[in-house]
Amino acid sequence: MGLQEQYRKEAAELLSSGEVKLVIGYGEGTTADRRRPVFVRSAELVSRLVLDASGVANLSAYLVPEGLLSDGKKVAVFLKPDGVRSINILAAEAQLDPGQVVILGFDIEGGQPTPLPGRKASDYAPLIESLKGSGLSPELQAEADRLEQMGAAERFEYWKEQFSKCIKCYACRQVCPMCYCRRCIVDVNQPQWINTSSHTLGNFEWNIIRAFHLAGRCVACGGCDRSCPVNIPLRLINHRMAKEALDTFGHYAGESADQKPVLATFRQDDPETFIL
Amino acid sequence: MTRILLNSRLDECLGAWRSAGFSVFAPVKRAELTRFDEVQKAAEMSLDIVMPERTIKDHFFLQTEPLIKYTITKQQIDTEEMVPPERKRVFFGVRPCDASGLDIDDPLFGWDYKDDYWFKRRDNSVIVTIACAKADDFCMCTSVGLAPDTAKGSDLMLHPLKDGRGWLVVPHTDRGKALLEPVAGMLQEEAAETAPVPSIPAKFDLERVTAWLASPESFESPLWREVSQRCIGCGSCTFLCPTCHCFDIQDEGDTYSGIRRKNWDSCSFAMFTMHTSGHNPRNTQSTRWRQRIMHKFNYYRGKFGVNSCSGCGRCTRQCPVDMGITETLQEISNLPK
Ligand code: SF4
Ligand code: SF4
Ligand code: SF4
Ligand code: SF4
Repeated sequence: MGLQEQYRKEAAELLSSGEVKLVIGYGEGTTADRRRPVFVRSAELVSRLVLDASGVANLSAYLVPEGLLSDGKKVAVFLKPDGVRSINILAAEAQLDPGQVVILGFDIEGGQPTPLPGRKASDYAPLIESLKGSGLSPELQAEADRLEQMGAAERFEYWKEQFSKCIKCYACRQVCPMCYCRRCIVDVNQPQWINTSSHTLGNFEWNIIRAFHLAGRCVACGGCDRSCPVNIPLRLINHRMAKEALDTFGHYAGESADQKPVLATFRQDDPETFIL
Repeated sequence: MTRILLNSRLDECLGAWRSAGFSVFAPVKRAELTRFDEVQKAAEMSLDIVMPERTIKDHFFLQTEPLIKYTITKQQIDTEEMVPPERKRVFFGVRPCDASGLDIDDPLFGWDYKDDYWFKRRDNSVIVTIACAKADDFCMCTSVGLAPDTAKGSDLMLHPLKDGRGWLVVPHTDRGKALLEPVAGMLQEEAAETAPVPSIPAKFDLERVTAWLASPESFESPLWREVSQRCIGCGSCTFLCPTCHCFDIQDEGDTYSGIRRKNWDSCSFAMFTMHTSGHNPRNTQSTRWRQRIMHKFNYYRGKFGVNSCSGCGRCTRQCPVDMGITETLQEISNLPK
């Protein structure tokens, strides 16, 4: 039995036994290579669930908005290790109770989904620990190196060109499990702290704010980067911030549900290399 | 006999238009994004794509438009209006759905008040559309009553020749005819065969859809929640749409001076209808999605007699969660009678 069949069966059991009220997974998309999030509420509909190498989106972003978990009931969700790390961060930041999330875990290896047996986020601790030092894909590493090698002025020009494309559609924010604020700082308008204009300056403001708010919290699921309709390489920013958090503070986002948020905590022995 | 423009003479034409005082805009790929931008040479153009990721609307209804400069002193408030320059522009290689989008929006910007920001640009621009030689799975112009070779909104139509040497040239407006004057010597008379227009099967029955939307009980239908569950409420589909036209007015600056700007806004955003009191009449994504569909295929149609959609498919093609307008319209079209 393939993993898709196995998880359909398990989803059906979870739903018919009443253990979960909802299963969030992937379904057929508009074209053969696209998968879309689907919400299954009854065992009869589990055949809508599809699991293959195209299931890349981090579905944990659907757990927080519109009070989904506020009734205390459980939800099952298809998650890769990056999604499990998101659950840990959401738990550490008191946005959800990880006990309400049943994980149907998988990873994609060699173009195939492979099962991950853990059903609770805490089951993933050894796996996440082993991922901590793992490097970037060769292509991403090459892009990151190219940026590192630029001088400051050249790098500024690079980002200016990229950010000037931004249309402030906020797809990057909306798709992100870590961007759960009920009112994003850019939407606060009494007073309007951040210009809503999508000129280059305004776009810099927005993208830099988001980069800072994601530092030490981004799990590199790539959701924002894939969602950006104007192809801004947001992965490069996230990667740089994650590297900083790891190198400076030994912080790997989403290790456990009681990990302290790196930028919201202070230790006496914190390095202060960034203070000029 | 018909007039044709050969690929090999396009650069000469661009030169002639520039000498006649036009700036030429065409689809280009710059910084990993396909969009309309100013070009000097034909080689810069990306004409062989289904359509650019961004629409030409961006050059008529700006993402952020400065309206007035203001300074406030103890004695008075000074304002200075910032009107767009009357710059002559040629948009070359426009897609029929994008050109139609301009035509669909004209009545909106000219209805109770003539919007100078739109019409100063419209009146000084010539739209040169190339009929589509290819389509993808998301194209749906034929579902909304248009076609890959429709001339709606175009001043000049270019139909690709079968042998790939160039285009058949057909003016549709006086502005289009006038644009041919400086390049008359670069066109040739020839009876050439045009390439077949791609066939795009209709994805839904538009009449059924609009009739259902117009019926009052549809407003509270459970369908809205079902089709929009995965919508994350971003602005991607509205901002990439050639016809969406919502905006917000913002003063940018400090208490004493600044610029009043008109910025794009989207009914997909929770903030769009947020009242000062904190009450939000569209407080769920499904109510916001309903507005999006209703506005395009019911309210706009009711007011201006045309749907606010040209079928470009960008809303679905680019949606981060594979949603968009098409699927909802299909669901409505497939509802039992
Ligand atoms: S998704 Fe891209 S275009 Fe949209 S707000 Fe984010 S960076 Fe800007
Ligand atoms: S349909 Fe897609 S693009 Fe449009 S608001 Fe929803 S998630 Fe964003
Ligand atoms: S609603 Fe979608 S298909 Fe219609 S014009 Fe807008 S982006 Fe294109
Ligand atoms: S669909 Fe929404 S954003 Fe587009 S024009 Fe209508 S109300 Fe405005």
